[in-house]
Amino acid sequence: MIKKELWVVVERDGSEIEDVSLEILGKSAVIAKSSGYSVTGIVLGTPEDGVVRDVIRYGADRVILLKHERLNQYSNDLYVKVLYDLISSELPAALLVGATYYGRDLAGRLAARLRTGLTANAINIKMDEKGLLVFGVPAYGGKIMAEIVCETARPQMSTVRPGTFSKVFDQGKKGKIVEVVPEISKVQDRVKVIDRKINKSKDLTKSEKTIVGGNGVGGDFSLVWKLAELTHSDVGVTRPLADKGIVPRELQVGTTGYSLKSKVALILGVSGSEHFTSGIRDCGTVISVDIDKGSEIFNHSDYCVVGDASEIIPAVIKKLEGKI
Amino acid sequence: MRNIIVCVKVVPKAENVIFDPATKRLDRSKAENQINDADKTAIEIALRLREKNGGKVILLSMGPPLFENYLKLGVAMGADDAILLSDRNFGGADTYPTALVLSTAITKIGDYDLILAGEESSDAALGQLPGQIAEFLDIPQVLFASSVKFEGGKLRVRRRIKGGHETVETSGPVMVSVEMGAVQPRFPNFEKMKWAVSGFHLKIWNSTELNLREEVTGLKGSLTLVKGLIEITPSKRKRVFIDGNVEEKSSRLAELLKERSLE
Ligand SMILES: Cc1cc2nc3c(=O)[nH]c(=O)nc-3n(C[C@H](O)[C@H](O)[C@H](O)COP(=O)(O)OP(=O)(O)OC[C@H]3O[C@@H](n4cnc5c(N)ncnc54)[C@H](O)[C@@H]3O)c2cc1C
Ligand SMILES: Cc1cc2nc3c(=O)[nH]c(=O)nc-3n(C[C@H](O)[C@H](O)[C@H](O)COP(=O)(O)OP(=O)(O)OC[C@H]3O[C@@H](n4cnc5c(N)ncnc54)[C@H](O)[C@@H]3O)c2cc1C
Repeated sequence: MIKKELWVVVERDGSEIEDVSLEILGKSAVIAKSSGYSVTGIVLGTPEDGVVRDVIRYGADRVILLKHERLNQYSNDLYVKVLYDLISSELPAALLVGATYYGRDLAGRLAARLRTGLTANAINIKMDEKGLLVFGVPAYGGKIMAEIVCETARPQMSTVRPGTFSKVFDQGKKGKIVEVVPEISKVQDRVKVIDRKINKSKDLTKSEKTIVGGNGVGGDFSLVWKLAELTHSDVGVTRPLADKGIVPRELQVGTTGYSLKSKVALILGVSGSEHFTSGIRDCGTVISVDIDKGSEIFNHSDYCVVGDASEIIPAVIKKLEGKI
Repeated sequence: MRNIIVCVKVVPKAENVIFDPATKRLDRSKAENQINDADKTAIEIALRLREKNGGKVILLSMGPPLFENYLKLGVAMGADDAILLSDRNFGGADTYPTALVLSTAITKIGDYDLILAGEESSDAALGQLPGQIAEFLDIPQVLFASSVKFEGGKLRVRRRIKGGHETVETSGPVMVSVEMGAVQPRFPNFEKMKWAVSGFHLKIWNSTELNLREEVTGLKGSLTLVKGLIEITPSKRKRVFIDGNVEEKSSRLAELLKERSLE
């Protein structure tokens, strides 16, 4: 019998829970409340007690802790195995995972092993009158949202785009904690991590003010950094600049990067491809500079400046330096 | 190295796909097609691996006959062989039966060290197929890779993770999905193109050749359903143009930035 439970895989780095996991817990709690479902958070490894408590405070009615030292670090082979075993014996109605690199790595394979349907990068989740989850996923560079359902196979699975849903925190919330020690002594990890490098860059989805540079900024990106410093803004880029390695990929805006929710965004030398503009849709005020009067970016802007970025940026810097 | 099999999808250019709000359908008829960008990157990585370590690069795609010409472009880039999996029953597939058909074909080709795919396609952009193919083949997977090296019988792959990257090592056959733009794909070679079009024989396998029953492929074998499409309309913007010379424009810009930061 399929249980009326929404399961959320909680991703964490030590004692720090990924925001997207908390966002999914929040959204699940909202859906559960109006439909008679309950929310279960799945935590893997041997975290501090605070992690499990927080999963409850952010929306779970119950936590299942898959307790094993080997699960503290993500591994496709191990995670797929323990989650498959748990899910195929517990039979929840749905399983949601953050669309992070690890989450997406996990979801495809797990869905195939469970022989169930999967959709990716959901930006909308609702439950229809029959109790079926309807996942809204962006397609064609964010121009279309497809509504996807998984009618018969269970669990209904989706990854969820970070920064999409709001967290809900309830300090006094109580929940059940179930510990399970998975049997993985015979499971091998076939992919060996030999080196890991993390750059501590800004989480763009939380940026209040952002300056985005595109191909039109030309070779000298230092002026963009300077302008950002003067205006206390964060810096983002279009994909070509991240591809070239001018800044880390974490600063890329768009369908294959991050979506901004800034109050104000200044966009410099960007042509306004759909793959990019889907990432600035939720910004407050958008101001753009482009040399081409016909640039598509102006259709997505509140204030438009036709001009050469290599002249405009230094001039603006001068103005700001003179007056601040 | 043994065979390197590259999974290739042909996609419409997003900017040419038109949504008809009345019928809620997509009109792809005017859209120009192309090999998915990330898959082109995968082909380039495969060709470079072959240049260093030998082996054969085989392109594999599931899709309608119109994909043939695009696979030939891949052959003109330098691939040794290309196989199209085409059958009326394969149509309307979600990723589950797509992974089933592709992995069945991969097993039929056999003798491989590496399966390459793009990180995601530019149309549905799910990025989940490579992991599903790996599962059906029961081989390890490394997704979102930016570099793939073959050293002493082992594959060393750099993959993207949150906030940075990891270098991982695996041996034996493995599935790797690669980031669009990780390397610059070469252009099709003119001489090879002539051969690809006139001399080369592209294999086409159908469900009989793959020994796959109708129920497990295509729409029938799918587990998800596209229930509807909704156009995402861009939020309405003011579109106020700021006029003047560079001096005036930058003054106004500086003012705007200062006003907004004080909010
Ligand atoms: C599957 C897929 C996913 C993608 N994901 C993303 C994504 O997440 N994010 C993303 O950004 N892109 C993405 N892209 C790429 C996207 O389609 C565009 O190619 C990209 O956004 C273009 O970047 P750009 O605007 O910086 O460069 P260009 O398109 O080259 O535009 C440069 C602009 O600068 C202007 N310009 C030139 N010189 C000057 C000057 N001196 N002063 C002022 N303006 C000047 C030009 O008029 C032009 O408008 C994706 C593409 C695909 C196929
Ligand atoms: C609007 C829309 C929404 C959809 N939503 C879903 C959904 O939620 N769930 C679902 O399961 N299906 C969905 N589908 C169907 C899905 O797009 C197809 O099954 C498609 O063949 C694989 O999806 P993808 O291209 O997004 O795969 P991805 O996982 O993004 O593809 C990654 C890589 O796999 C390889 N690859 C992909 N397709 C092929 C192919 N035909 N032949 C060879 N190699 C290939 C390429 O190397 C590609 O770069 C949707 C389709 C549309 C049009």
